[in-house]
Amino acid sequence: MEKPLVMLDKGTNCSSWNYCGQRLATGLLDGTLVIFDSLEPDSSTFTCTSRTKAHGASITKVIWVPPEYGDAVACICADGTLLLWEEVEEGPQLLKWKLCKLFESNATQVLDVQFGISLTSLKMVVAYSDGHVKVYELLDPLLLNKWQLQAEFQNVIDSVAMCGKASCLSASISWNPQISESHHSSFVLGFNSDLPQFNSSKVWEFDEAHQRWLPVAELALPGDKGDQVYAVAWAPNIGRPYEVIAVATCKGIALWHLGLNADTEGRLSVEKVALLSGHEGEVWQMEWDMSGMTLATTGSDGVVRLWQSNLNGVWHEQAALVSTS
Amino acid sequence: MPGRMSDPSDSLVPFSPDVRDPVVYSLHHDLKAPISRLSISWSKGNCLRVSFFGKKSSNSSAEGSGNSNDQIGGKVVEVKLSSEDGEIDEAQKRRIAYGSVSPFALLQSRKNSMSLLSKMSMGSSTYHVEWWEHVMEYSKDINLLLGSPKPLPSPVIEDPKTVLKAMEKPTCLKAAWELMEIFYADKQSQAWLPESLVDWLADYDNLLSETGTTVYSKLVDLQKELVTLQAVEDNPKYWEGISSALAVGWLEIVVKLLRLHGSYQLDQLGNRETENGLVEAVAVLISKMPRIRTELAVGRLGECYKTKPDFVKAWEKWRGQITKLECSAFWVQCDHRQTREGLKNVLQIMLGNTNSLNTVTSHWIELYISHFLYVRPFTMGLESMYSLAQKCMQLKPTSSTHRLMGLLLGILGENTEVVLAECSRSFGPWMVAHAVELLTAGSKQAEILLHEERYNLGGISIEELHRLVYAQILSSHALTWQIAPIYLTSCTKQGMGLLEILLYKQPIQHNHLLLKSLEICRLYELDSISSNIMKIAGIHHWKHGKKGSGIFWLQQAQDEVRLNRIAQQLFDFVGKSISDESFKQWEGLIELLGSEARTVGGLEFLHKYRDFKKSLQQVQDGHITDAARQAVESLILLMKNPSTPQRFWLPLLHDSRTGPGIEAEKRGSLVKLLNWSEHPLLNISQTNLLLNKLQELSMAKLHPDFIEADLPPHALNSVRLALATNLGRAFLEE
Repeated sequence: MEKPLVMLDKGTNCSSWNYCGQRLATGLLDGTLVIFDSLEPDSSTFTCTSRTKAHGASITKVIWVPPEYGDAVACICADGTLLLWEEVEEGPQLLKWKLCKLFESNATQVLDVQFGISLTSLKMVVAYSDGHVKVYELLDPLLLNKWQLQAEFQNVIDSVAMCGKASCLSASISWNPQISESHHSSFVLGFNSDLPQFNSSKVWEFDEAHQRWLPVAELALPGDKGDQVYAVAWAPNIGRPYEVIAVATCKGIALWHLGLNADTEGRLSVEKVALLSGHEGEVWQMEWDMSGMTLATTGSDGVVRLWQSNLNGVWHEQAALVSTS
Repeated sequence: MPGRMSDPSDSLVPFSPDVRDPVVYSLHHDLKAPISRLSISWSKGNCLRVSFFGKKSSNSSAEGSGNSNDQIGGKVVEVKLSSEDGEIDEAQKRRIAYGSVSPFALLQSRKNSMSLLSKMSMGSSTYHVEWWEHVMEYSKDINLLLGSPKPLPSPVIEDPKTVLKAMEKPTCLKAAWELMEIFYADKQSQAWLPESLVDWLADYDNLLSETGTTVYSKLVDLQKELVTLQAVEDNPKYWEGISSALAVGWLEIVVKLLRLHGSYQLDQLGNRETENGLVEAVAVLISKMPRIRTELAVGRLGECYKTKPDFVKAWEKWRGQITKLECSAFWVQCDHRQTREGLKNVLQIMLGNTNSLNTVTSHWIELYISHFLYVRPFTMGLESMYSLAQKCMQLKPTSSTHRLMGLLLGILGENTEVVLAECSRSFGPWMVAHAVELLTAGSKQAEILLHEERYNLGGISIEELHRLVYAQILSSHALTWQIAPIYLTSCTKQGMGLLEILLYKQPIQHNHLLLKSLEICRLYELDSISSNIMKIAGIHHWKHGKKGSGIFWLQQAQDEVRLNRIAQQLFDFVGKSISDESFKQWEGLIELLGSEARTVGGLEFLHKYRDFKKSLQQVQDGHITDAARQAVESLILLMKNPSTPQRFWLPLLHDSRTGPGIEAEKRGSLVKLLNWSEHPLLNISQTNLLLNKLQELSMAKLHPDFIEADLPPHALNSVRLALATNLGRAFLEE
């Protein structure tokens, strides 16, 4: 049933596949960035094409930049820095991975970063360990080193009620994967922090008219708002009259339906349609398949679980992949 | 709010609160070190890739161990999530997938034109008659793909002792498809459903042998022994085989077996005349069995009656003959006990003795078929067929339900949901996606059920859901993704959405895949995804040193934003390095751009700009006046040309004021085109043109979209001053 694809270097800490599944970027504990490529389309042989020392500290997360902006990855490092590395031509027939941007960490660390493409630009959301969120915009579509800070805010609905400084362990961001003229850019963000009001997942939408980001929905029931969020995942929508977002907290994986049209106050209707339990402990990652019908999750129990809705809309665990040596 | 999650009124599959437990698979990573973390990613279609990261070993002296496995820190595996039944191999599955595309597409296009016609007030009765035919044609086409026309277990001429013809084992998939065809698509068989099932079992009884004894397996055993037996009639298995085959209506085999009876042998004929007469009488009676059906294939025994009254008449006459034979005095004269008893038992089966039928059949469906043939030939309607099936199942219970039987019971129970669930569970997404066509043709009710749009499914119908699921499976494989669009475009609600995602995920760095994707985009008018794909290709090539193809694809994508940036880069480059060696490389590129008819993003003007630059270069090199004139000509051409982007006007004018060598070391040889020392190079109208352009530029500066050129702040003013001076001199000159 399973087919081995790649053997990873010792000390590999994280990995990420590019948009078409032909390239794998992995980050190592010693700060090395390793790239594997399949030279033939759809071949299952992958070879290492680049091994670059990207940073002094270990790489904890790798994320590919959308392919419209080249072959590039963002690396989050253990010391809290964020790096952008890009593969570019260096001399005839020679491709090389080069550092194109370094976002220094000061007191705060970068916890998660995700790229979102709108029709006109590339946006990058960065979540920091102090509970702040920064949205950067790429100024030149050909140069991945020219970023402009577009907005900075905290993951709270009511900014007046903000109090104190949060200390966050992790954050999870997921963009609405849909790109269309009728849609504003939006993403969902949740924190795992010591300040309850930062934690709950909120949907942020860009208000083009006023050039600002607004929280348009909160994905937590009144009693659960302080729950620490481990992961969020926005499902692709190929034509549903509502969006589906998965939110993993200490209580399980909640599936939310999000309305498409805002009410008079600009809020989107939300409905929690399922609470799935299965993973013992923390949920590490959640990924939707291309149709948005199957959710794959993995967590500290080391099991990959697949969830689907039956014809009545009842979500259930469809399969569990238990790893054995 | 609409669509609560479990509204029992729209409950589809009888849903029990205890959801079926998840299927547990084990994933082998073969890593020595314990796993510290996992990472998952969806690949094409429904392939899932799982990365395992090993824990960093505590002893850092692993280097010396020399074991290569120690250097492996993790592993990535790909998991395919299709249920493997093993009956059909992958290559055959793909062959079926490819083969079913055109029947499916044909049926869809017929459906579309039908619905157009019916909207134009066509008589619905003719519509239906024709529609059945189309569905039947579709079903036959698909059926053909699932296996070649199979030889029946019928006698062959070559070897008189071969009663069972050796044949390739049919697949359950084909058996299931035929079952669906009989009940839903083939309207002609509706009146003769029992006889259709008789034929069906004759073809597929051997599939049921996997789970237990069947008539077929009995005959296979008998066949093995027949070769070695001298006097077959002495062996009880011979008579058992005859009775069993007769019970399920395999008349040809029965007659052939009977004729292997020892009394037929020439040397025996004299002393076993009566015995032989009885055997032959039974054989003749069997071959004359009345059947209520339209026709029988060549070589098949029995007599067909199309109408019930005719059949009843023939049936009664036939039964009369059997009774008469049973009461005949000849039996007393038959010395061979086994023959006597065996033949009597055969007669009991023909008379529909339920005890005999029960004894000679093994599987419940065999008993069921024997009831149709000998007890209740007039069984009509699914309801009575269903209750008979249940009765037979009680008489012959099985420990586990064969997947074909599960499907048959669903069909007989007239439960579309169960049929669909059985199709999906036992035969996979291909079966469901294609069999839905048969189901919807089968009944209005099923059609409503399968076409109803459901909120729970995201606003799509069950039919569409199954097509999407199937298309996603097609997308998983490099050899089948190209046919997924056929199924996706038949999905009115969400098919295009999925198709766009599918196309977006194709690796564009491979040219043939890029062209294939673009072709699909063009076919289905997916302009935005097409330009996005070209954009990705353009950037990929541009950044990877293939500047020419990069620009080509960006132009195809009409991506003005990126092309403008590229134009700027080239402009800056041409401006800086006219004397540079590497200019040659750029010159070629600009040449390429200039010749391209459909240029976007102002790249065309670079061509002329190069000429201008060349002239300026010559001015610098000392070919003074002629070159200067030429440079001015080029400048005027550039400024007049509507394709020169406005944002380059000022840099161009600024260039001509200062000459190309803005660098410090070249300042001494600055060519002041605009302040040419000998005489003004621009006449009044030319100067006015440039002044007007300058004025336009000043106005444009107020516009919010204006892009400021990267020039010193006084550039505009110094150019204006130079032009004004030139204008004054030109006046004096003229």
